Amino acid sequence: MSAIYRSLIILLPLIVLITYGTILIADKDDAFTYFESKELPQFDLQDLEDRKIDLAAFNGISLLNVWASWCITCLVEHPFLTQLSKNEITLIGLNYKDSQVKAKQWLGKRGDPYIFSIYDPRGDLAFDLGVTGAPETFLIFNQQIIGHIQGELNQEKWQSTFVPLINAVTQANQ
Amino acid sequence: MKVSTLILYGCIFFTTFLPAEAIYKFDNSVEEKRFYSLISEIRCPKCTSGSIASSDVPVSRDLKQKVYELILTGSTDKEIKAYVTDRFGASSDYRPAFEGANYLLWFGPFIFLGILMLIFLSNRRL
Repeated sequence: MSAIYRSLIILLPLIVLITYGTILIADKDDAFTYFESKELPQFDLQDLEDRKIDLAAFNGISLLNVWASWCITCLVEHPFLTQLSKNEITLIGLNYKDSQVKAKQWLGKRGDPYIFSIYDPRGDLAFDLGVTGAPETFLIFNQQIIGHIQGELNQEKWQSTFVPLINAVTQANQ
Repeated sequence: MKVSTLILYGCIFFTTFLPAEAIYKFDNSVEEKRFYSLISEIRCPKCTSGSIASSDVPVSRDLKQKVYELILTGSTDKEIKAYVTDRFGASSDYRPAFEGANYLLWFGPFIFLGILMLIFLSNRRL
């Protein structure tokens, strides 16, 4: 019997070590894919063209992408976002802590994949969304936030995180 | 004294007078104490580990400013914590509430220790 206990004494710390080791080694991006669904916060902002925001844009499936002209990674994901917008995906921008002039110049120079961009110079809506920086992307279904990606949105993250969520809500609402 | 040495001493002497971060002014010391204890209990969402008190990234600055404003408008510590965790997730609270599923967090280490003790004790008897 004591042999079993002795082996347990060695095995238990080993199990603990392996468990925590796996958590530490695991892909750090996975930590951010877990997301608790919540309602889109209320906000009192206009878009980059000083127009009122039409909340109807958030009905159905849409993406809310946090971007800024000072953000380097936004430049990296810009081609992928452009591709998504061509595939009939509703893309709404959240211009974060930026200057209106610079933001418009940025879009003019590189192309505008968004149906409109909410102008949030102080980061008020971004704060309520729990944004920690740019870029970040929220997946929204009928005014409900159902997914969140921090950092660059690319084909890989799109496939692994957003596509399963989109499939789940479209199947549930058929 | 060489000019370069003078410049060096000058640099060391004058940097000590630069304020490291924004100064938060309170009417009384109770509010001030609450502020500093709260910001040391809220996790910086952009950092691997560390409180917003120890971080100067933009989102931590915003969080500190918000905590400051909420204290001034009379919110309780619990309300402020709820305000932050609603937005940045339950993991942003370094001192999880003593309730519900969090009991496992609080008692987990003791349960683990208990199991280990049991094993050691039964091992001795044999």
